Amino acid sequence: MQHHKQLKYRGALVASLALAAMLASFIFPGSAQAGDGKTATEPTVVQGITGAELYAVNCNRCHEERFPKEFTAVQWTSLMLHMRVRANLTAAESKKILKYLQSQSGN
Amino acid sequence: MNKFTKVFRTTGIACALLISQSPHVMAQVSQDDFKKLADQVALLSQQVQTLQQKDAQDQQTISKLKQQVGATKEIAVDAQQKATTAEEKLATPVDLSEQLASAATHNFVLSGDAEVTFGRTAGFKSGGFQMADFAPIFLYRANENILFEAGFDFQLQNGSTQLLNGTTVNNANTTGVNLSFATIDYIVNNYVTLCAGEMLLPLGTYSERSAGWINQIPDQPLPVSMLPQAGIGAQLRGAIPVGKAGNEFTYAGYLANGVSSVDGTGNSHYVDSTGAVLPNLDLGGNTGYSFSGNNNQNLNGSMSGGGRIAYFNSFKPHYDFEVGLSGQTGPYTSTHHYYSAAVVDASIHLSPYFTLKGEYINTWVQTTDIGTYQAGGFWLQGTYKLASLNSDFSLLNNLELVARYDTVNDGLGTKTQRFTGGYIYHFSNTLMLENDYEALTNQGPNPLPNSAYIFQLSYGF
Repeated sequence: MQHHKQLKYRGALVASLALAAMLASFIFPGSAQAGDGKTATEPTVVQGITGAELYAVNCNRCHEERFPKEFTAVQWTSLMLHMRVRANLTAAESKKILKYLQSQSGN
Repeated sequence: MNKFTKVFRTTGIACALLISQSPHVMAQVSQDDFKKLADQVALLSQQVQTLQQKDAQDQQTISKLKQQVGATKEIAVDAQQKATTAEEKLATPVDLSEQLASAATHNFVLSGDAEVTFGRTAGFKSGGFQMADFAPIFLYRANENILFEAGFDFQLQNGSTQLLNGTTVNNANTTGVNLSFATIDYIVNNYVTLCAGEMLLPLGTYSERSAGWINQIPDQPLPVSMLPQAGIGAQLRGAIPVGKAGNEFTYAGYLANGVSSVDGTGNSHYVDSTGAVLPNLDLGGNTGYSFSGNNNQNLNGSMSGGGRIAYFNSFKPHYDFEVGLSGQTGPYTSTHHYYSAAVVDASIHLSPYFTLKGEYINTWVQTTDIGTYQAGGFWLQGTYKLASLNSDFSLLNNLELVARYDTVNDGLGTKTQRFTGGYIYHFSNTLMLENDYEALTNQGPNPLPNSAYIFQLSYGF
């Protein structure tokens, strides 16, 4: 009996999270991405804060800042995709930080 | 004066002389002279004809040369236009993101960290190098929305195992290779990412921020050992901006194979081949079902589910806080004994120099023999960079002070408290020497190692 109860709780937890994810997609429909992998509409623009400031805000949460010149512009693209997932960055933030890093990147 | 003109002039003079002679003079011209004169006239006529032909050829050549000059001028003008266009392009600022969008999409990057640890534990006559670790992370970006990432842990360390009765066996060195994580990440949209594979589980924040150069103390907080660190499964995660720029709500929800047990009985302990009595819970989990005689032995009955929600608020760069709540529940035996965990985590940055973070962890483990026992504890860690002093003594500016208090109750009768104090010397932003003293006290049958000095050189790449 207790087992069934726990299964229900677990199912409810997972269902809630999936629902939250779906709701997020519906609430922000303009952000859906096209099938060709390109963003159909730009996400909410991060205003009033520069890419460098966003970099300082988010990267220092967990570790020392990496110098932009440590990696090339192309390498930063992969690294920022990794950090967007790992650090749960918003799409707009990660794009703005990436732009800053690429503008200062090494060869 | 050209040849053509000269010939005409000579011919004209000759004709004039002939005409000007009187008839009696003409009559006196001999036949031979007349013939000679006629021959000269014929010769001159041929020369005139030859020169006319040559003149016609020269005119054709001049015409061709004029055409070639015209073509050359056109080429020169075209080249000038191209040069002007190139100069204009060079003067225009380069937008790298646009270039990259049209560049080759596949890209491979190697990142990660490496550590070497020296330690001396109280009660031992001498210290020694305890561990060398190389932890590369492979990132392979398939396109803008798909990333494969895998983290390995190559570790050389003392292979000794301390049994519950305190004796130590198997003193050989071992090299271990561990797949820390390996996931395929797919950016579904701006707010949802799907991760599948061997995942670092978002129970608290430590599991995803434990790399040697990120974790500011060489070893992990004690109660973290009560949580599974990774699991095979699938996860949805993402972030939603809230309020002003930089603030966000984050979430993660996952299904994973979950934790397991050693013997599948659901008892709190099991006895190994050496006679040692050890906890039955296997937080390493399993990678699938294997059947033997229609019994799925030590494996769990079904998957576990879990997740984390958190809020991050930034006042300005280096001034922020984050709070999170996470948990997981699921059976760890085929007879549905449940393992559940809950974690509250928080961190705060007050200036570029001061950080305070910690976690409260509690777990519930159902057993056949002793009912449900609870294991858990908490840890609190603070760091302060002396760069804030802006000292003329540069060595001081590279120092960061570290302190941590952590405690754990394994739920099976053993309680441990530890206070750690030390420093980090930053050679660079990713190369650092960590030196700590850990004062540790135990109560119960399963004591942890004694107090120790630890040095660790960490490098992130």
